[in-house]
Amino acid sequence: MKELILISIGIGIKSLIFIIGMFLLAAYLTLIERKFAGHVQQRPGPLHVGFHGLLQPIADALKVLTKEDIVPNFVDKYLFYLASLMAFVPAIMILAVIPFGEPINIFGYEIKPYISDVNVGLILALAFGSISIYGVIFAGWASNSKYPMIGGLRKAAVLIGYEVALGFALVGPIMLAGTFSLREIVEAQQGFFGAFIWYQPLAFIVFLFSILAETGRTPFDVQEAEAELVAGYNTEYSGMKFGLFPLAEWYIATFVLSAIAVILFFGGWNGPHIFGPISPYIWFLAKLFLVFMFLLWVHWTLPRYRVDQITEIAWKVMLPLTFINIFITAIIVIIKG
Amino acid sequence: MDLHAIAFWSFSALAVISAFGVVFAKNIVYNILSLIAALIAVSGLFFNLGAELLGALQILIYAVAIVVFYVLVISTVPEYKGQSVDPKYMLISIPTGFAIFLELSYVSIYGAWASSTGIFTPEVMQDVGNIKAVSSMLFTKYLFPFEVASLILLVAMIGAILLGRKEQVMEENQ
Repeated sequence: MKELILISIGIGIKSLIFIIGMFLLAAYLTLIERKFAGHVQQRPGPLHVGFHGLLQPIADALKVLTKEDIVPNFVDKYLFYLASLMAFVPAIMILAVIPFGEPINIFGYEIKPYISDVNVGLILALAFGSISIYGVIFAGWASNSKYPMIGGLRKAAVLIGYEVALGFALVGPIMLAGTFSLREIVEAQQGFFGAFIWYQPLAFIVFLFSILAETGRTPFDVQEAEAELVAGYNTEYSGMKFGLFPLAEWYIATFVLSAIAVILFFGGWNGPHIFGPISPYIWFLAKLFLVFMFLLWVHWTLPRYRVDQITEIAWKVMLPLTFINIFITAIIVIIKG
Repeated sequence: MDLHAIAFWSFSALAVISAFGVVFAKNIVYNILSLIAALIAVSGLFFNLGAELLGALQILIYAVAIVVFYVLVISTVPEYKGQSVDPKYMLISIPTGFAIFLELSYVSIYGAWASSTGIFTPEVMQDVGNIKAVSSMLFTKYLFPFEVASLILLVAMIGAILLGRKEQVMEENQ
């Protein structure tokens, strides 16, 4: 019984730190995105709240939280409320399996910078990531309105295609590392040329497309294409219920999937120890930030694809590419033993 | 009460409650929502038993990959069609359901429980892990059933493509 209470308290504190940290981080990721988007489009972005808009996320959060929460008359109320949580909770649950570094010793206690290290971490991350599509589909259905419905169905069609490609793209790095545990995959990539990006470029390209499709970022943001669908699946939402959708999709999901990309292809927290004991964390966050910025750059540069073109790319280009990758990787793994 | 017992009872209760929801909810979208909840609760039971691979695949394949197609179809059904209950189908469905229940209980009492001791002891499982145990069985002892299952899926896939094509051609002729 005592052991049970200790375990629960330990996991509870750790989860709270991860969730609160993720909230604050996501709030500031909005500022980074808006500044970046501004400079891409040759305008300054947020300037007035705080120094160069540094307090803008706090002002935004206050505005969204104190806004009048309008629920339209003909929506399915229970699902309408549930859908915003269904999109948000699984996205944050992926954090449970992502390792942010090696265990460290502070004051004699061993502190592990991850919540759990199950040996099927990668499959679980994929599973949680794909549950969150129900949030989008049910939001579209519960709104009882044309455009949200179309947005939800589009998102489902895109995700069915890219889930498959994403799953097969991950097979290459798994075959090279010989394990599903994210921590052991990082340990398998030692040195600059040990990173799997050098051996799995095809898998990385497919993975990049799948991140964009899964998080609904621009070349693939058909589910909320504002020129055609008003705002897509979240048209009828307002207040914080509205805020949760982009927070989950654009920031938390993108952040977490970038973390998985760093772990799988860029060697995770491996790097020269030039910052002393905290260098693994600095390397991990620096790589993560670079991948995230790359995704933002794609988002704010490219125009949008049509929905049939997106699913066509998924089934006719991405899936065969992953099969070729698996075939070549299997041959090389067998030859090298 | 240790952690395993608490987790077992809470996940079982969730699974049973959501299973009732699948049967008794009036709105078909709520049916499908309860089905998702039941599948996720069952995956929690797998995790509790130490079968992490099964649990993760249960979420990924059943709760998402398969049910998402149901959701796609059901969420486009008009509400009044989903709510109509025709009592004449109960004449067939109640005996069929009872027969399936009898068969399942027979199989689980005389089949599954009688042979519940596999070749992997808990110590071996600790050593090699879930994935290696499953795949070594799948690609040695059960290779033939595995290949037959994949052949059936291939046939189903080709059949589905054929059916889909035919409709399209007819639409173009009209």
